[in-house]
Amino acid sequence: MSQPKSNRAPVGSVQCENTTLNLLKANDFVAKAIRDRLAPHDILVLNICSSPGSGKTTLLQETGRRLKDTLKMGVLVGDPETERDAIRIREAGIDCLQIVTGGMCHIEAQMVLQGLDHFNYEGLDVLFIENVGNLVCPAAFDLGEDYRVTLISSTEGDDKPKKYPRMFLTSELMLVSKADLLPYVPFSVEAVTQDAKDINPDLEVIAISSLNGAGMNEWCKWLEQKVAEKKKAGIEA
Amino acid sequence: MHEISLVRNIFSTLEHEFPERMDKVRGIYLTVGLLTNLHPLLMQSAFDAVLLDEPRYNKTSLHVKVLPIKIKCAACGAETEVQQYKFICAECKTPGNQVIQGEEMLITQVEFEDTE
Ligand SMILES: Nc1nc2c(ncn2[C@@H]2O[C@H](COP(=O)(O)OP(=O)(O)O)[C@@H](O)[C@H]2O)c(=O)[nH]1
Ligand SMILES: [Mg+2]
Ligand SMILES: [Zn+2]
Repeated sequence: MSQPKSNRAPVGSVQCENTTLNLLKANDFVAKAIRDRLAPHDILVLNICSSPGSGKTTLLQETGRRLKDTLKMGVLVGDPETERDAIRIREAGIDCLQIVTGGMCHIEAQMVLQGLDHFNYEGLDVLFIENVGNLVCPAAFDLGEDYRVTLISSTEGDDKPKKYPRMFLTSELMLVSKADLLPYVPFSVEAVTQDAKDINPDLEVIAISSLNGAGMNEWCKWLEQKVAEKKKAGIEA
Repeated sequence: MHEISLVRNIFSTLEHEFPERMDKVRGIYLTVGLLTNLHPLLMQSAFDAVLLDEPRYNKTSLHVKVLPIKIKCAACGAETEVQQYKFICAECKTPGNQVIQGEEMLITQVEFEDTE
């Protein structure tokens, strides 16, 4: 172990420096570099967050199947160890690069920026970043995205917004996933929506099922609208 | 969760800011908002763990101050200290998400041993 604190007390006189150094400054700086790099391309960037297993990869596969003729999509997927998600996403016809996070609990902007060096994003309409399954840490790391989309599945309980407020505070869209299972689990879409809106009144909510297709049209419309807005803003700029 | 990488981040930020004085660092003061989910005790253990790898900082101690969450009401302008993550104005009961305090993750003060 390290020395007890009493032994670490400063000896002699001490000089104090007051600072306002932000611990996430380095990450925010890199997030800006990502925005600058992607700006000329008008690509909508979405940071997809959730607990492990809430259905992020399945949603991306299904979105790929539905929209691959209308939108050009790419995915950067953060996976602590394996390349399984990347393989699943490629099988759905979407170009995908795995970001190896080496056991990290979140993706940092630096990893995305490095990922862009190895990924052909030219001509993309949407770039999804599938974050590491975790509702705590990813909330603090800006990845240069336009919007943060958070999934909460019907099987994980409707208390998540109250437990992980920052994630819902910093998201623009909450997808209640696995809606096909709602009849079998004690989960109230109304209650979870209310809790989430107590934290973030501007949050949009869509209940979806990648399995039976419920809500998928609404999600696809949301996506197409955001892509259109992004392109319009690009033309006006 | 990522306390260890944050502590490393603290040292690299300071190494960048005070390259000549790092062997004199004795105290690091952090101010973190409640929304960061950073727990002072966990930060302390992470700090101790990092020192095992970085014995040159053995004489340095960490001090963490936690700030509560505050929001400013878009309707009436009142400031409310958020209790139990209820983001509602205490004055007029309007829900709001305009956080004015609680997301901080700042190094507010650094103490250096004075050798003069
Ligand atoms: N019933 C049901 N299961 C789903 C749905 N979406 C995903 N799953 C299942 O949930 C598990 C985890 O999904 P995955 O997409 O890998 O989650 P991720 O960890 O968030 O990427 C898999 O077994 C999926 O088949 C859905 O809409 N309904
Ligand atoms: Mg996945
Ligand atoms: Zn008010």
